[in-house]
Amino acid sequence: MLRLINCRHATLLLEQRQDPTLPRRERASLWLHLHICRYCKRYSQQTLLIAEWARASATARAQAGPALSEAAKERMRERLVAAG
Amino acid sequence: MTPAIPVPAEWPARFGDELYRFALSRVSDAAAAEELVQETFLSALASLATFRAEASERTWLFVILRRKIIDYYRRQARAPHIGLEALSDGDNASVADYFSPATGHWAGPQEPASWLRADAALEQQELHEILQRCQARLSPQQEAVFAMRFVEELSAEEICQELGLTSSNYWVIVHRAKLQLRRCLEKHGLGQN
Repeated sequence: MLRLINCRHATLLLEQRQDPTLPRRERASLWLHLHICRYCKRYSQQTLLIAEWARASATARAQAGPALSEAAKERMRERLVAAG
Repeated sequence: MTPAIPVPAEWPARFGDELYRFALSRVSDAAAAEELVQETFLSALASLATFRAEASERTWLFVILRRKIIDYYRRQARAPHIGLEALSDGDNASVADYFSPATGHWAGPQEPASWLRADAALEQQELHEILQRCQARLSPQQEAVFAMRFVEELSAEEICQELGLTSSNYWVIVHRAKLQLRRCLEKHGLGQN
């Protein structure tokens, strides 16, 4: 049965819906809520954007960040030689 | 050509930059990133016997680094926290700030504003910087959970296991982190239309 839920509950379910164990009735309640609440609808879109940006931002930094200093490389090399 | 037998002394020159950039993209602190790379090399050296020649050395080192990063998040999540968020944003009482205590619906000023034009208006670089600043304002535990979930894309089950959290605790933390991050992004320019 469809149950009316509030925004606090809906925003929590938006995180939990990624979880395959979330029961169908909870998914249905969320679906209904998103149809009647424009703020949670907006939040649901923004929450996806945030996840997307978090990944993209880490990927961009992993590709374009600064190099490891030569001094650090030499220190590491020495430790590897000493330990090996 | 990749040598058939790994030469550990060559790792820093061959893989140092790439591993360091990756580590730095996760920890945002140069000293911590360097430490992670060094630990990766030393662990790899210690487990050299488990390296299979048909795998790529680079892939193998990245697997070890990823593991080190998860350990880093775990230490971060356990760090005692007495921060600014405890006074303003991040503690138990504050989730109530987002929603009306009586109805559980958005409290008036907290209603999410439209971001329709905001992400087009901001340079990607700027957007990433704002996001990073906002992530850094989360409590260490929220920050670690957020990164494990949304950057490393671990499952809820894996994160609970790594951090020793119950499932309900975990959801409370993710929920709170997301609410706080969303509000922070909005304050820093995404909601201005």
